[in-house]
Amino acid sequence: MAHVSVPMYWRTIPQRYRLVGHKCKRCGEVNFPPKGVCKYCNASSDFEEVRLSGRGKVHTFTLIGAGGAPPEFAEQEKAGGSYPVTIVELVEGPKVIGQMADVNPKDVRIGMPVRAELRKIYTEEGVIRYGFKFVPEPGGA
Amino acid sequence: MPVGISGYAAYVPRLRIKREEYAKAWGSFAAAGVAEKSVMGYDEDVLTMAAKAAGRALDSSGVPRASITRFALASTSPPYREKLLSGTVLVGLGVPNEAFSSDHTSSTRAGTEALVAGFEHLGSNAAGKALVAVADAPAASMWDPIEHALGAGAAAFVLAADSLLAEFEGHASYASEHAGERFRPPEEDRIQDLGVRKFSESSFILNTTRAATALLTKLGRKPEEYAHVAIQQPDARAPSSVAAKLGFTDAQLAAGLVAPYLGDLGAASAPLALAAAFDVAKVGDRILVVSYGSGAGSDALSFKVVADRKTPWSVKAEAERRENIDYVQYLKIKGAIE
Repeated sequence: MAHVSVPMYWRTIPQRYRLVGHKCKRCGEVNFPPKGVCKYCNASSDFEEVRLSGRGKVHTFTLIGAGGAPPEFAEQEKAGGSYPVTIVELVEGPKVIGQMADVNPKDVRIGMPVRAELRKIYTEEGVIRYGFKFVPEPGGA
Repeated sequence: MPVGISGYAAYVPRLRIKREEYAKAWGSFAAAGVAEKSVMGYDEDVLTMAAKAAGRALDSSGVPRASITRFALASTSPPYREKLLSGTVLVGLGVPNEAFSSDHTSSTRAGTEALVAGFEHLGSNAAGKALVAVADAPAASMWDPIEHALGAGAAAFVLAADSLLAEFEGHASYASEHAGERFRPPEEDRIQDLGVRKFSESSFILNTTRAATALLTKLGRKPEEYAHVAIQQPDARAPSSVAAKLGFTDAQLAAGLVAPYLGDLGAASAPLALAAAFDVAKVGDRILVVSYGSGAGSDALSFKVVADRKTPWSVKAEAERRENIDYVQYLKIKGAIE
């Protein structure tokens, strides 16, 4: 299992629960997840916290099927079948990776509008790890 | 100064199972009047449902998250037996950490209890804003017929003293001692019921009619002055007997009757029934809400609709977003196969 300790997880809760990104005060680009130095202008570490809308479009995706799931997602795959993992281009610019929920895997398309919402990602050490997943947002983005 | 509701929203998870699936698996279906019910996805729990409904309620009210001073969360089926539950939702929403948050649990009455707590906060903080989120997904053993009715859903409300769509007119409660119906010992995560039907029914009717009668008396109202009555729905038939005893008609019950297509929503039953009534209510309509929690207690709340402002996330729209599953899929998603 890709072990993420509770303290490590805890430090990234603003990103995992409500997509808090860093807007570079020099070039104006939004870094998500936050970086030490802006990955766009490579020249500034002066940021303003911004909450991303969670809205975006599927940039690309793959389906994780039988036997392909990492151990922390194996039970989910067994219970619900194969699941899509997408890279979503958010309206604010950043491309982020996340599972897609509330969708038939056959219906996922590049370019489909989606929205992030809070879901259970997996449970480790008895602690539920919450975070965002993308769900279809008809008429969105 | 009047206080009331300035925004609301429903959230219903998208999976459904029909009564026919139970009939195929078990030979019968024990939930009276329930045609199908809602089921959470594998990656959902009452906290994720509450976050979804509450975010929508805030969006529908236009109240900024930063102005929330009180957050009340209710559910009988939290993912932890000990741990602050409301913190997860509060942080997920971006509601201020300084808002006084509370968890209301252990009774299907918890939803109205959270609403009353929200209104009490406004009573002493005129400039305050309260967010109330109620989400539930009760669980029982698959071998137990009480499992058949159990659905899942959430409703959330923004409580304030301005920009109201409905005024809160008052509440009354009734608590008593009744044991043996719907309870959970400390070592159990599934509800139990001794199945003494007459006893459960009499407790349900006694507590709900006492709370409702007390409120009607306090407000000097008659049942015919209400356009809608939203009563706790352990199944789709139970509210009828209470309504009849109080002098309400089935027509007054109709708008708030959500159990036929969502099942027993536990603590979220009366709140979702209220949301469904708001969805169709006209300005000037009065709505009576009556919850019930086994053991036993009931809250009655009275609202008057003062503005024609509907949520984009109505109960009906949520109910229409759906995908059917069969009984084996249901068992897998519920983690019921050991």
